[in-house]
Amino acid sequence: MTTQATPDMKQMGDELYKHWERAMGSWWDQVLETPAFLGAMGQNLEAMAGARGHYEKAVDEAAERMHLPSRSDVVRVAKVASMLEERLLQQEDLVLGLKDQMVRLEREAVQARIEAAEARIELRETLADIRAQLGGLSAGAPVASALAPAAAAPPAPSAPRSAKPRAR
Amino acid sequence: MVATIAQTTETLRWLSTEPVARVRIGQTPHAVIHQDRKACVRYFAPKEAVHPPLFCVMPLINTWSVFDLLPGRSVVGSLLAAGVPVYVLDWGRAGREDQDLPMSHYVDNVLGRCLRRAARHAGVETIDVLGYCVGGTFLALHLARNPGPARRAYFLATPIDFHEGGRLCRWSRPENFPLDAIVNGFGNFPAALMQESFRWLRPMGAAAKWKAVVDRGHEPAFQELWAALERWNGDGVDFPGETYREYIRRCYMDNATMSGGWMMSGQPVDLARCTIPAMAVAASEDHIVPAAAAHALRKVWGGPVKTAVVRGGHVGVCAGSALPASILEWLGS
Repeated sequence: MTTQATPDMKQMGDELYKHWERAMGSWWDQVLETPAFLGAMGQNLEAMAGARGHYEKAVDEAAERMHLPSRSDVVRVAKVASMLEERLLQQEDLVLGLKDQMVRLEREAVQARIEAAEARIELRETLADIRAQLGGLSAGAPVASALAPAAAAPPAPSAPRSAKPRAR
Repeated sequence: MVATIAQTTETLRWLSTEPVARVRIGQTPHAVIHQDRKACVRYFAPKEAVHPPLFCVMPLINTWSVFDLLPGRSVVGSLLAAGVPVYVLDWGRAGREDQDLPMSHYVDNVLGRCLRRAARHAGVETIDVLGYCVGGTFLALHLARNPGPARRAYFLATPIDFHEGGRLCRWSRPENFPLDAIVNGFGNFPAALMQESFRWLRPMGAAAKWKAVVDRGHEPAFQELWAALERWNGDGVDFPGETYREYIRRCYMDNATMSGGWMMSGQPVDLARCTIPAMAVAASEDHIVPAAAAHALRKVWGGPVKTAVVRGGHVGVCAGSALPASILEWLGS
């Protein structure tokens, strides 16, 4: 008997709660949108804020009368510290920006030097090829046959070098 | 009946041990790679990086630990397990000395610096970015003004069309909400008031929460998650005054993210100026940022925008498995 009745009671309680929640919810929804509620809310907030402002002013005045640093004084000092901190952060940002720029410039300079060195190596190799061909010419070979392979194809050693990806 | 009594006893015993005070959240090991006054960038390193790094911008009004609630319930943990290096922007806690800081300080200075430092730390030219809630709005504003190293953006429960924001939008109308009096009186907008206003968005939410405790308070998995969420919810952060004034006026009152005409420190705010691909994700049960408010990004964003809905509420979405799956799918796309 007890085991039969328990789940029903629970279910009934849940149903009752649901109805109550729904009814209360819709009632609150109406109340919270009424001009009376909204007006009272605004007035209440204004009064609270005003009271807080007056309280803080009174505390400050009391501290001043006792020649103690007031809360406003402490806030003023904290503001100065915050401003200094902000300026330091801005400087730090600038320094980091400059550092990044320096790294970029340095990288570009190194890259330019690598490219210049590679160009010089290629030039040297081309010169060596020409010298070898000139040597062949001076040895008495016919001009046409000696120059033809060099003009048809690029010098063999420099071809793989230029195809290689450049180190950064 | 006996079982119900036993369960209730167990629940009461658990509640009496102060579970919210005992639970530890945000425990995944990480390193702080950059400190930006009160804000910092937290770096979570995976065992093996498989995906490109992700930079997450958290809301200014809560702590970052909602992305790292508990082992097995952690967005960061799930991303790390999948091989994503994660950077989280933690805004820190605003004090009285921050009440005069304009919104551009957070949107341009802090966010920009932290994003650049994260990309620099990761050694990448471009980085994927994610923004959650107000953090997403700040991220969208930042990207529209200066995309920097951002490659793609994922906006989670991020309000863009504030006039689709439901009750919150109606409450913050100028005739209902004395914005200037509040900021002038309070300085920073108190976190406790913010929590209270969120509670009033869904008044029956408190009843539903305690009903869930009565029904499931004896289950260890529920106990841990409930305590973790309570801990995070109760740990709000004050909204810096002037930033709050500009945020409420421009976003909730003017809806300037949609209508334009917003000048922030002399530069226009125009989301159409950002052309990187974006993903606008809404939570299915979100009562703070409805899908219409989040998906409105596609109406104003300059680049291609995809939209999606992930199962969960505004906060609960961070405790489920659907969100990490959605982020990983996006990262892999």
